Amino acid sequence: MIEKLASLLVLVPVLPLLAAAAIAVTKRPHRQRASTLAIGAMGLSCLIAVSAFLAIAGAPEERLVRNFDWLHIGNTTIQLGWMLDPLSAAMAAMVSFVGLLIFIFSKGYMAHDENYTRFFGFLALFGAAMLGLVIANSLLLLFICWELVGLASYLLIGFWFHKPEAAAAAKKAFITTRVGDMGLLLGMVWLHAATGTLTFYTEGGEGCLQAGALDSLGAAGLTARLIAPATLIALLLFCGAAGKSGQVPLHVWLPDAMEGPTPVSALIHAATMVAAGVFLMARVFPLLEVGAAMHGESHSVVTPALTVITWVGAFTALFAAFIAVAQNDIKRILAYSTVSQLGYMFLGLGAGGVAVGMFHLLTHAFFKALLFLGAGSVIHGCHEEQDIRYMGGVRRWMPVTFATYAVGMMALSGVPLFFSGFWSKDEILHAAHGWPVSHIPFLMGSLGAVLTAFYMTRQVCYVFFGPQRSREGADHGKAAHPHESPRVMTMPLVILATFAVGLGIFGTPAWPWAQSFLEGEHAHLAFGHLFSGEVLAVMGTSLVCVAFGIGAGWWFYGRQPISSAARPDALEERFTPVFVALKNRLYVDELYEATVIRFNALAARFFDVVDRWILGGAVAVIGYLVVGFAWIGRFLEDHGVNAGFDLGCRGIRRGAGAGAALQDGRVHNYLRALGIGFATLLLLMTWGCH
Amino acid sequence: MAAVTYLELLKLGGSEVLLVLAGLVVLLVDLAVMRDEPRQNRMLLAGAISAVGCFAAGLWALQDGITGRAFAGMLVIDRASQLVKVVLLMMTAATVALSVQGRFTRHVGEYFSLLLFSTVGMMLMVSTENILLLFVALEIASLSLYILTAFNEENPQADEAALKYFLFGGVAAAFLLFGLSVLYGLTGSLDLREIGAVLGQRGVDAGVAVAVVLVLVGFGFKVAAVPFHLWAPDAYVGAPTPVAALVASGSKVAAFFLLGKVLSTGFAEVAGSAAWHGVLSGWAPVLAVMACFSLLLGNLAAIAQKRLKRLLAYSAVGHAGYMLVGAMALAGATDRGRALAMVVFYAATYGFTTIGAFGVAAAMERAGESDRIDGFAGLSSRAPVMSFCLMIFLLSLAGIPPLVGFAGKFFLFGSALAAGPGLGLVWLVGFAIAMSAVALFYYLGVLKQAYVVPAGERAGTLTVQVSVILTLAVLTAVVLLLGLYPGLLLDPLTRALAVGM
Repeated sequence: MIEKLASLLVLVPVLPLLAAAAIAVTKRPHRQRASTLAIGAMGLSCLIAVSAFLAIAGAPEERLVRNFDWLHIGNTTIQLGWMLDPLSAAMAAMVSFVGLLIFIFSKGYMAHDENYTRFFGFLALFGAAMLGLVIANSLLLLFICWELVGLASYLLIGFWFHKPEAAAAAKKAFITTRVGDMGLLLGMVWLHAATGTLTFYTEGGEGCLQAGALDSLGAAGLTARLIAPATLIALLLFCGAAGKSGQVPLHVWLPDAMEGPTPVSALIHAATMVAAGVFLMARVFPLLEVGAAMHGESHSVVTPALTVITWVGAFTALFAAFIAVAQNDIKRILAYSTVSQLGYMFLGLGAGGVAVGMFHLLTHAFFKALLFLGAGSVIHGCHEEQDIRYMGGVRRWMPVTFATYAVGMMALSGVPLFFSGFWSKDEILHAAHGWPVSHIPFLMGSLGAVLTAFYMTRQVCYVFFGPQRSREGADHGKAAHPHESPRVMTMPLVILATFAVGLGIFGTPAWPWAQSFLEGEHAHLAFGHLFSGEVLAVMGTSLVCVAFGIGAGWWFYGRQPISSAARPDALEERFTPVFVALKNRLYVDELYEATVIRFNALAARFFDVVDRWILGGAVAVIGYLVVGFAWIGRFLEDHGVNAGFDLGCRGIRRGAGAGAALQDGRVHNYLRALGIGFATLLLLMTWGCH
Repeated sequence: MAAVTYLELLKLGGSEVLLVLAGLVVLLVDLAVMRDEPRQNRMLLAGAISAVGCFAAGLWALQDGITGRAFAGMLVIDRASQLVKVVLLMMTAATVALSVQGRFTRHVGEYFSLLLFSTVGMMLMVSTENILLLFVALEIASLSLYILTAFNEENPQADEAALKYFLFGGVAAAFLLFGLSVLYGLTGSLDLREIGAVLGQRGVDAGVAVAVVLVLVGFGFKVAAVPFHLWAPDAYVGAPTPVAALVASGSKVAAFFLLGKVLSTGFAEVAGSAAWHGVLSGWAPVLAVMACFSLLLGNLAAIAQKRLKRLLAYSAVGHAGYMLVGAMALAGATDRGRALAMVVFYAATYGFTTIGAFGVAAAMERAGESDRIDGFAGLSSRAPVMSFCLMIFLLSLAGIPPLVGFAGKFFLFGSALAAGPGLGLVWLVGFAIAMSAVALFYYLGVLKQAYVVPAGERAGTLTVQVSVILTLAVLTAVVLLLGLYPGLLLDPLTRALAVGM
């Protein structure tokens, strides 16, 4: 059964791909057909992925690979393939399930868009690429899908390309992630050079993540006498991951990417694609562990690469959380929150291993998708309003959205015990606490948790409580009330909310099923773990953090209803300079503008001058020389060669006439020729005889 | 020499027996049953029986395990001979297909049975190493073709052409027979292998020289090499067009295979050398002179022609020159089987291509036009499919890649260059390449008429017979396919001949 499912797994990306191809040739008015195709394909994929997941849930130590030869170049054979293991199964199930819900939600959200067909075509393409990415058993195939999700992301961010901001954001996303992808490509090439293969696992053990290749990589000498090649390769791959997952300093594209339609933000820029970086690191984790030194009784693995990942993750988690505090766009807050949470995932992965990071990835996918779809529902209900200062009191008109949003908000903030976010974030803080290198990431993570609770509380207070503050002004009495979204939109919200709560059960310290599953082990129920000292201490810390964050948020924003949109922010009144700096996103964009982009522009101008005057001048001189030669050549050709050729042709024609004239039609002449021919040849033959 | 039972003999000669039977059945059926039927039906039935005969004979030849050598080399059946027989049968089948909707004769049964009998002669030519049977086989093939040439009732010149062909052929046959008898006198054997052994000890002397040149005159007539080509233009124009196609294709393949066998088995030790610095007496310089003049005269005279069939006749002389260049490789090559395979490959592919070109001429005649080249004006709009086929055939004959003509020339010249000593044959190959550039001129002249010159005002769409257009399509496919994958034919040939030699 599991063998068959492993073989069937290839259909998971192929079905959406076929749907995308079919939609590509569907005419624009056939809206229903397009969305049905996309949703149907995704539904089938989801069915297969979930069956595969359930099958391997019973046997987490399995890893089934399916490889095939793609190219033969000389003696090199390049394999592609896919695999079924806990990591790919969990990701495939999550991506296809969340994807399916978001596809359904989009049916409602995009109902009035004239390019509905195109939208579903792009969504299906994205689904295919993302699912291909998670089941890939080859870094090359993963990279191909990686670039395809990048393309789909570009197309969908710029879906409303007639808006200049959207077009600019799409370009920014594409170029910024490309900076990281350069590193990924280099790492991939280096890995191939070092191990001779890009296939992760083979049944014969020749894969690049299997003992043979890793041992030879570990035994290789230092590059430039400084750093082990394994570390360099890992760091290059991490560049790609950081670009895709919006880690500082490559995070700038992700908030801008919110210019795309909200389901896109939910699917690509919250739940799935941006987490691909974390997934990539989890997939190549054996590579990150090369040359590891085990530290005492703690189970942490420490290598230079993992240390870098941990620090970058911790810094991003805190940095983005700060910025989120001062944003007013409902989606931008969530975007910075996503950056921050991705930082947490890297922190967990670096300090605690695959399971810790991946569990947060999975829980985050559900509650962040929920929050984004909730935000989409709010935006939809508030007539495309995105500024939280102009919302207010929405809970009265949109109860379902409010309830589900509250669930998502509490999961993200990490409200204890009942919400999945609590358990996964707790796990990360636990790992950071036990990290043997430094305690600072733990402190950064805890402060980040406070800020997370704070900005989410601020957002909820602004959006759902207080009086309505629409742009037209409530006092004119004309403002339309927000309205609840249709069932097709709220139903996915409810389902996601259920998962945002329920997933936590699988990852408590007492029964760490998800973590064990991802590590390829069976879980054991042990309530004792829940009450061990360290666990309790960390849980206590995070409890305090959350309570403090929510309390402070309520104190500033919830205590007195925010009456007017024009009123400055409660924090702005007290800490103006800091708040303004945060509001301007700590001037990172401006910094890039002043340095990288200005440098780029200057260099471009410089090379333009070089190209135009120096190289162009040289080319022009050569060109004139060639033209001069051509004149001479033409003269010679006309008067020398052509005349000679004409002469030759005339000669040939005359010869032709003479040859044909030999045939005079008289048979006795023929026979005479035969005799003469015989005599001549005989003479020729005897000429050399001795 | 072990005795051969009749059963074994029947098995060895099964293809020939089947084809003779088919010929007799055609004759009988046409005479007895179809006498009063309209000509169209008689043609169809006779053609069908002939095609079935070819098919059956081909299947027989394709069987595994039929090999043997009987009666002092009179019947030598091996993989190579069987393969060449299949090629010959395919050519005959194509000829039959081109004939069935023709209107050139009332003697249907005789026509088709003679076609089959001449094929039997060709098949015997490729499966003998005995000079007596060699002559007999050659004469079976030739005599049938003489008669077939006279079958064209539509063309008043046919009788004259046939008579010229016959007279010329008869004299050439006399030369050949004389040469063979001298050979027998010198060596006391009819078996080519034994002759080869004796000649090896004897070396080149006056008697051997006479014998060799006489034999080469006979073959020179058969392959239409200068100066023994003079019959060809008249015969090609006078004969029914399908017969001309067979003369240019099957007859040539069989003759070259047999010539190659004679040169590499019987005359192996009296080859001499045609290398630029070091001409040695033997058949190689004789052949080189014949090749040179064939290339020169064939290609030049073709330029002056106004009719497609006459043009193809001279082009056939030119192609005989190329194949003789390839046959030169038999003198010095270390791997004679491979060198012969190249020649046979060229002859076979040239045969398929030229049948196609003759098919176009036949279709033009059948549609009430002549084969005059200026009548091809605007053919691309009048008969697009046929003119596409014509383009493929002519470009292949000119040796343009990726068509099979290019592959054939490439291998042929390569094998001639590789055959030593050193790069001695460079002069000949260089000349052949220069002549193929000249050849492009007249082939493109025809295509220019078909594709560039507009049709005359009164010219309407041409109706082409189904059988003809199907045959042309199949041949076009063969030319394209073998051009892209020459190995399909060349590899089996090389393997078979490597075993045989």
